[in-house]
Amino acid sequence: MKPLLADRTLRPFLLLIVIVAAIWLLDGGQGRFFTAATAFSVLQQFATVGPIALGLGLTMIIREFDLSVGGMMSLAGCVAVLSGVGSPPLGIAAAVLAGGIAGLCQGGIMVRLRLGSIGVTLGGLLTFGGIAYVVTGNLSIAYPRMDIAMAVNQKILGVLSLRSLIALAAFLIAAFVMARTRIGRDVYAIGSDRRAALVAGVPVGRIVVGIFALSGMLAALGGSLLSYSLATASGVALTDALVPATAAAIIGGVSLTGGKGTPIGIIGGVLVLSLLRAGLNAIGTQPSVQDIVTGGVLLIVALADAPDLSRRLFAVQVYRKRAFG
Amino acid sequence: MTAARLATEAITLEPLARQSAPATSMLSVANLSKSFGPIAALRDVSLDIAAGEIRGICGENGAGKSTLVKLLTGVYRPDGGSITVAGRPCIIATPRQAQELGIALVAQELSLCPDLSVEDNIWLGSLQVPFLHKKPELRRRAAEALVLLGAEHIALAAKVASLSMGERQLVEIARMLTRDARVLILDEPTATLSDVEIARIFAALLAVKREGRSIIYITHRLAEVYAICDRVTVLRNGELIATVELADVDRAGLIELMLGRPSDEMYPEETRDEGPPALVVESLTVPGGIADFSTIVRRGEILCIAGQVGSGATEIVTALAGLAHDATGRVAVDGRALILGSPLRAARRGIMFVSGDRAGEGVFRRLSIFDNLVATRLRDHAVFGFLRRGSLRTTAAALAKKIGIDRRRVRARADALSGGNQQKLAFGRCLDRGAGGILVMNEPTRGIDVGARAEIYRLMREFCAAGYALVLASSDLEEVLGVGDVVITLYRGRQVGRYRRGEATMHRIVADITHPVEAAT
Repeated sequence: MKPLLADRTLRPFLLLIVIVAAIWLLDGGQGRFFTAATAFSVLQQFATVGPIALGLGLTMIIREFDLSVGGMMSLAGCVAVLSGVGSPPLGIAAAVLAGGIAGLCQGGIMVRLRLGSIGVTLGGLLTFGGIAYVVTGNLSIAYPRMDIAMAVNQKILGVLSLRSLIALAAFLIAAFVMARTRIGRDVYAIGSDRRAALVAGVPVGRIVVGIFALSGMLAALGGSLLSYSLATASGVALTDALVPATAAAIIGGVSLTGGKGTPIGIIGGVLVLSLLRAGLNAIGTQPSVQDIVTGGVLLIVALADAPDLSRRLFAVQVYRKRAFG
Repeated sequence: MTAARLATEAITLEPLARQSAPATSMLSVANLSKSFGPIAALRDVSLDIAAGEIRGICGENGAGKSTLVKLLTGVYRPDGGSITVAGRPCIIATPRQAQELGIALVAQELSLCPDLSVEDNIWLGSLQVPFLHKKPELRRRAAEALVLLGAEHIALAAKVASLSMGERQLVEIARMLTRDARVLILDEPTATLSDVEIARIFAALLAVKREGRSIIYITHRLAEVYAICDRVTVLRNGELIATVELADVDRAGLIELMLGRPSDEMYPEETRDEGPPALVVESLTVPGGIADFSTIVRRGEILCIAGQVGSGATEIVTALAGLAHDATGRVAVDGRALILGSPLRAARRGIMFVSGDRAGEGVFRRLSIFDNLVATRLRDHAVFGFLRRGSLRTTAAALAKKIGIDRRRVRARADALSGGNQQKLAFGRCLDRGAGGILVMNEPTRGIDVGARAEIYRLMREFCAAGYALVLASSDLEEVLGVGDVVITLYRGRQVGRYRRGEATMHRIVADITHPVEAAT
């Protein structure tokens, strides 16, 4: 059990199998759950949470934290809906550009002024959310292109859609860059030990700024696609994306201490979350219970990650023995 | 050599000796000087290191070794003097330039990322790595570097986190080789290593030497100087004392060269009467630090534990303070057993810790002097958890007076004080904690000027007079001889000697902590 759980990329997929089995058992083996419709809805959920979880996860790998993703997502949705009436791809491009610039600013401030990411991106979350609120005037903006809304959600091969394919592509590109390129290696080096990376000659500042720009762009991509698919954008609805994205990254094997985690693992983490939701829905569980179950899964993953857990448990026993035995 | 050339020129492990005859000068510095304000850290130092030479550099703490290293690696810029690398005069203004000239430092604190593989660490930050980095070519050259160092047992795919300290040292050296380092500077490379690992490092260094590259080897351990160096340069107080062939000087002669400071009257007379044993330590062991250490410390007595970095002296005091989670052994305070491993438990039994790392383990830098002085005694000045400001104020004022800090400054922040005064705060915190305190100190006067030192030594004697027992780990031998009522010498985790005041001499102690074999004979 332990060596299997120790592989951070494999772990979320093992969890996935366990969850499928558990839901199947809870369902009494009736198989109501295993339909193409469920798979489709899981993947749609993946398309919504995935890009944000990826961007956030990348910032966590360099031992930072991008809290602004929720705000960026709302803002990007508004930008896309407002500028993409004529040409939908142009809307997405504008939104992604805005996300990249916003991330660049946040990263630049952090590196230049040597500030922590929590403070800066918390400011970003409020600022971006606020701008979205002002732009929309606290109303939902309708996206008049229903054809596009249909197109991005059109089923492909029964379970996929354009939206989930784009999310998947983003993950695969990220996985390649992280595993195969110098930049990916430098990212892990920075998360593992920033001082050592700096001494070894890694351009730390540039990469930190780049990761935040990327995180902004990914949040914008997710937000604009979601707004297209809902044919609406609003300032408030999307800011609570942060919690599921963080949970997905952690379940996916990203460590809060940095330097660990892979994009493939994050895919697994997002799927675990989406599947839990869909599965518990299918067997008729209340939403509050779903949160409790999700919380339990997170706790288990956190325990598996605890630094030298066994030693600590053991050490406590030794003290007990020494003191009272 | 420019960065562009470095990037294009394939950096190979071809022996450099072919390009230059063995006796030619690789690195030469002339009349190098560096001052910090009025203090001269290095004065008129001239060195000439040949290709393929391993040069030892010895000297006490503060002799100027680290200043020299920082000048050679571009961290500091010299006030005067010149540096010549392979016959070409050059200016080393930045660490980057030092790298381009082929001068590489393997510092005590390594620069490896634990989550990356050995191969990735070797190439980390190198300008030669293409965008898609996993080229067979790079892998081959990383493997070659490891083979050259006799470290082919280290798997390229292994995570650095899984390697021992000695293996990490070898990976770091391999990284420098792939970057075409012509002069390797090693700063106390063996401080944390076992015998087997030291032998491996030595074999690797000899292989590097055979390539015609030069090595500057900085160490306190004279045995190692004799084991590996060709010549040794001795620094003292920032000045070059001598550069000698090791064949021409014996250990006693080398110690003679390193010492020679007049000892002044900064140490107050010790108290004479022997108190009851306050602290009994039996077979204290910290894995990788100290083995089977036993001693008794009496009230009113200062025990000095003398040793260089890695000797285990630090581990003894931190274990007593409860800061080493894996310490084993029996410790009794006033006859009652103390379970090690918890600073809180140790503090409850009256063990107080004063660290040389003032910023990390000493004072609360951002709090006021007042808050620092009363931090450990809030409980005595509270009613149902509410602090009595008035009684705290009088206490703080009294403590400030005792440690010699102006009463009117108590509202100032601790980091506004000099290092010496900050350390006095740490001592002030331990004053008047009832009879029966035990003060354990780790290099308490590190980085502190002479005047403040004298005051701190006076404070130590006041603690003795108040019935405290003091344990002091120090690598400053003058201090050890000056304040210690009992001196214990350590070498690599084992006790070498134990002396009463007056029995120990500087020569005896230097011999003990640098080379125990010599001491035994």
